[in-house]
Amino acid sequence: MARSPTTSDVFNAIAEVRRREILDALMTGEKAVGTIAADLSLSQPQVSKHLRVLSEVGLVRCRADGRCRLYRLESARLRPLHEWLSKYEQAWNARLDRMDDLLQELQQQGERSDT
Amino acid sequence: MTPNRHGSARIEFPNELDVLITREFDAPIALVFDVLTKPEHVSKWGATPPDQMKECSIDLRVGGNYHQVFVTEDGTECSFRGTYLEVEPPTRTVETWLFEGWPDAEAVETMQLHESDGVTTLTMRLAFRDKAGRDHMTRFDGQQASFDQMEDILRSLLGPTGTSPS
Repeated sequence: MARSPTTSDVFNAIAEVRRREILDALMTGEKAVGTIAADLSLSQPQVSKHLRVLSEVGLVRCRADGRCRLYRLESARLRPLHEWLSKYEQAWNARLDRMDDLLQELQQQGERSDT
Repeated sequence: MTPNRHGSARIEFPNELDVLITREFDAPIALVFDVLTKPEHVSKWGATPPDQMKECSIDLRVGGNYHQVFVTEDGTECSFRGTYLEVEPPTRTVETWLFEGWPDAEAVETMQLHESDGVTTLTMRLAFRDKAGRDHMTRFDGQQASFDQMEDILRSLLGPTGTSPS
C-alpha cells in the first residue's frame, strides 16, 4: 500500500504545505512566478522549485508570455484526490448514518414506552 | 416524518496530523453519548456489513480501556484499542487510539458533543501528536510522506473495509 517516496504522484506532490498554498494561489487564475512568490512571501527560487514538482505531476501548466512564464492550475489532475477523499467520506457517512438510524430507533422505542 | 441527515458527515484535514469529522443528529445529547459509548449500542452500528463486530468492550472511566474486534466476510480480524484519558458525560471523552496493525502509531481521539435546539453535533478529532505517532508520521521525509501516512491511517480508521489492499 505504500507508495514510493517520490514526487511522481499527486498525493506526494500536495503533501507539502507550500505546494498546497501555491495551488490555492492559482485557484483565482493564471499567475507569474514572481506574483506567486510575492503573494506567499516566498523567494522566487523556492516557488520555482515547488512549481517544478507540481508540473511534473501535471497539477500546473506553464506557458510563455513574452519573457514571462505564466502558471495555471490543471484542476482535472486533482481527480484522484477527490476520488480518494470521497471514498472515505462515503465510508464515514455510512457508519454515522447507521448510528443515526439507531438513534431514531431508540427514540421511537422511548416514545412508545412513555405512552 | 422528517427528512433524515444521511450523508451529511463532514471530513476535514485541518493540518498534516489531524482528521476532523463532524456530524449532526436529531437526538438529545445524553442519548448520542450513550450510543457512542455503550457496547450494546456501538456493536449495532460500528461495523460495516458484511463485516461484523466480534468483540466490543468499553470501560468508560478515566484509565479504563476499550477494545473492538472486527471480522470480515473471509474471516480476517482487525482490532482497535485504547485507554480513556478524560470522561465527561454527556459532552466529551478523550482516549488513546491504537490500531493493531500500527503498534507504534498511537493517536489521541477527542470526541465532543454539543446540543442546541434538540440537535446534537458530534465532533471527532483524531490527532497524531504524541511522540510515537509523530515518529511514525515522520519516519520518511516528514511532510513529504505524511499524506501517504494519512491515507494509511484513514484506511485503518475505517476498520476492515478500509484496510483491504488497494
